[in-house]
Amino acid sequence: MKVMKKAKVEKVIEALAKEHDVYVPIQRGAQTGFFSYRTYNEDYDDIMLDTLNVYQPPKSIVFPQTEKMYGFKSEGQKINIDQVFEESEPKIIFGLRSCDLKAIDYLDELFFTKSYEDEFYRARRKSTVMIVNACYNPGTSCFCDSMGVSPNEPENADVLIHDIGEGDFAWEAKSDKGEAVTELIKDLLEEQEATLPTLKNFKRKVDYEGVAEKLKDMFDHPMWEDMSYPCHNCGICTYMCPTCYCFDIQVKTAGEEGYRFRCWDSCMYREYSQMAGGHNPRELDKERFRNRFLHKLQFFQERYGEPLCTGCGRCIVVCPAGVSIIKVIEKVKEADV
Amino acid sequence: MREITNQIKDIARKLFEEKKIDMFLAWEKSEFDFQSMPFFARSAEEVEKIIFDEFSVHNLSNALLRFRDGKQRIGIVVKGCDSRGIVRLLEDHQFTRDRLYIVGVCCPGMKDPLKAFRNESGFEKTANADLEADKCNDCIQPNPVIYDVLLGEEQPPRMQGERFKKVKEIEAMTPDERYAFFEDKLSTCIRCYACRQACVACNCRTCIFDESRPQWVGREANTSDNMMYHIIRASHMTGRCIECGECERVCPVHIPLMLLNQKLIKDVDSFFGPFDAGLKYEEGAKPPLSQYRENDPDDFL
Amino acid sequence: MAECNCENPLVPSMVEVVDIKDETPDVKTFYVRSENGGVPFNVMPGQLAMVSHVPVGEGMFSVSWQEENDHLQFAIKSVGLLTEQLHNIDIGQMIGVRGPYGNGFPVEECKGKDMLFIGGGIGLAPLRSFIKYCFKYREDYGKITIIYGSRSYADLCFKDELFEKWPAMKDTEVFVTIDNEEENWSGHVGFVPSYLQEINPDPQGLIAVTCGPPIMIKFVLQALEKMGFTDEQVITTLEARMKCGIGKCGRCNIGSEYICLDGPVFNLAQLKKLPPEW
Repeated sequence: MKVMKKAKVEKVIEALAKEHDVYVPIQRGAQTGFFSYRTYNEDYDDIMLDTLNVYQPPKSIVFPQTEKMYGFKSEGQKINIDQVFEESEPKIIFGLRSCDLKAIDYLDELFFTKSYEDEFYRARRKSTVMIVNACYNPGTSCFCDSMGVSPNEPENADVLIHDIGEGDFAWEAKSDKGEAVTELIKDLLEEQEATLPTLKNFKRKVDYEGVAEKLKDMFDHPMWEDMSYPCHNCGICTYMCPTCYCFDIQVKTAGEEGYRFRCWDSCMYREYSQMAGGHNPRELDKERFRNRFLHKLQFFQERYGEPLCTGCGRCIVVCPAGVSIIKVIEKVKEADV
Repeated sequence: MREITNQIKDIARKLFEEKKIDMFLAWEKSEFDFQSMPFFARSAEEVEKIIFDEFSVHNLSNALLRFRDGKQRIGIVVKGCDSRGIVRLLEDHQFTRDRLYIVGVCCPGMKDPLKAFRNESGFEKTANADLEADKCNDCIQPNPVIYDVLLGEEQPPRMQGERFKKVKEIEAMTPDERYAFFEDKLSTCIRCYACRQACVACNCRTCIFDESRPQWVGREANTSDNMMYHIIRASHMTGRCIECGECERVCPVHIPLMLLNQKLIKDVDSFFGPFDAGLKYEEGAKPPLSQYRENDPDDFL
Repeated sequence: MAECNCENPLVPSMVEVVDIKDETPDVKTFYVRSENGGVPFNVMPGQLAMVSHVPVGEGMFSVSWQEENDHLQFAIKSVGLLTEQLHNIDIGQMIGVRGPYGNGFPVEECKGKDMLFIGGGIGLAPLRSFIKYCFKYREDYGKITIIYGSRSYADLCFKDELFEKWPAMKDTEVFVTIDNEEENWSGHVGFVPSYLQEINPDPQGLIAVTCGPPIMIKFVLQALEKMGFTDEQVITTLEARMKCGIGKCGRCNIGSEYICLDGPVFNLAQLKKLPPEW
């Protein structure tokens, strides 16, 4: 088996970074997330291949929080769209986890299927290679296997790496893209015997079976009001979620020039569905809370065949008020309808 | 704390039985020991779930905003800082005193469930041994300032040493250093508005940041729009922040928001003071920036 | 569902505003044509297009008519930042359009049927595309009844069609109402749902199509149900805040359906399966 020895990890990243913008899980000050290796500063940054995951999910690499779409210039009554920003520089996400890879699969479903393909997303996505760090040691808030994700044998990884102890990683190319990047660093890998770890038990389980079905009859259930009371309707859960994708499109104009951009939006915000004439189909906090969970647990399931949650647990960890999607699922299971 | 929990339950139960309240705001336990979360009891039976413990860190006065247009009579548990939040709501005419039954608890300092969960999560390289909520270290008012009943023993302020010490450190920087400092901190903002939503003083019905005509601040998460957001928000807090520290506690990217608030608290105190927001409720009283006085300093004009 | 034939569906193509017609004090109809002549894309009745006053913003509007391969018409009410700015432009201005989006009205399925159109305020704009389509292919449709109301006489859209062209069409009846009494108005006074009940059309062989403010739609649907219309006989077109128009940005969902893609046209049977969030 090919193995990337501890001492070679940074060399591998460096080598890959010659032709790619490589995103690595990093602790940077108080923050953890996937940061471009170009911004890596060994005095401040700590590469985190040995921790469970990072707070800020890698979705921003294929779907940035703010993304320019096109630029324009006006001249009197004439307006010319002079630039379309489709960003396609080759990228590698190095060491993402199965839950976050699955989340990107869901973004693929969203952006590539159902009549239209999103060209901005495509440009970034098709040039991105996924080097997945297989997960053998689920954390306190992890429940990916309950949501149909395999932590150590993910589908659609380009390369799968396995922590085999002592900071060494077994390296398996899983796709053509994966073979191609493996070729770039083959001299840095060693051929050796390696035993893959065994997957430890999940501390958290939740039974999602039948939830989408049951929710069809629970739109008016009083649990939504009860559960939404603690919620502040801030956007933390949506922005930290690896799957939440709602976006806004806005414009920035200065003088005769400007550009249109899109940016993440949150269904928790009142403005999200507020119409210019004043009508808002989800005016109440409770309605926005309900829509978020129904979207994840029922609507996305109905439309795309899978729930829009990969069990990464981030929303549970960061919620200022202790709202938990696991509890929502459990409440649905228990509810009398 | 178990004693206080029982006292709170007894009070809440009695209030429900005597039909004096429609709802009681306290805490309940979630899945983990460290996970206390806001709880909204609506009957004497539900009172049994109530707890008050070292993780009851949230400022529940913020949750009253949800009911400001209703008629419900509400019982609420407040610590020192939270009670200042109640004063904020009364001064801002967001709630009336007669709808509230306030159970004050003298606060010995709280632990932070978010900090505890971060330790457990595996999403950070190092664990934080000290679970003490950072906000409690700057506490000048652990004892409730407004209440119908007071529980627990009076506590000394937890703030040690010089007040505004961190603010003074920033003030001592050159403008360039200061700009670089805030640029670094604010560039990481993800604009989730958790700080605003957790804030009891952020009680505008339509927030300026949600206005679209005109749109005062762009929606791009970039340094300039982020700075605009935080500067405007901080200035709206001037003379109004009650130092509960929830904004900073809930921030997912750890922006030191209380630094901005403390700077303004310090300035309001020195220009218009002595003044600390929400320390005392007097009917009709207004924060300094809500009124005009002939002798207000106007050096900047 | 609409087929996309453009390279990047989120980038608009530029068209010229060739004419602007004042309909009411706050509604104008914009006539737009591609720079090289003709329409930027073909639209079926009830379909939507994203219109952008490029430096200001984008908004989704129903195309109120496509005149052959000559131009598109958008009747737009001034209600917000974008629409206010659109109302300030002059003929000759370039604006952006992208589309067409959404399913449109079931013009084929309705062939051979009598048609009842019930509109309120600017809600006549989408209905107009279907009404004019019925007149264009007059032989394909049976009797046409139009019930339309607005707050006041001044607020009635498309007055020349409403009072002259449409009533003159073969086998067509037009009923107009305004909310309150007015000098010089001898027509009906009252809200659309109650006028509908007064007219009390026989549901036999009839398809009802309605659009207007959400509150009007709700009462009209109730009234139709009371008159004995089946859920399949009742069609409405919905609106929502939209950003992308292509089913990605999330906000225009009702349940798992997106108004921009699966709508905006739904019959009542479809609508009843969805959460009442519109």
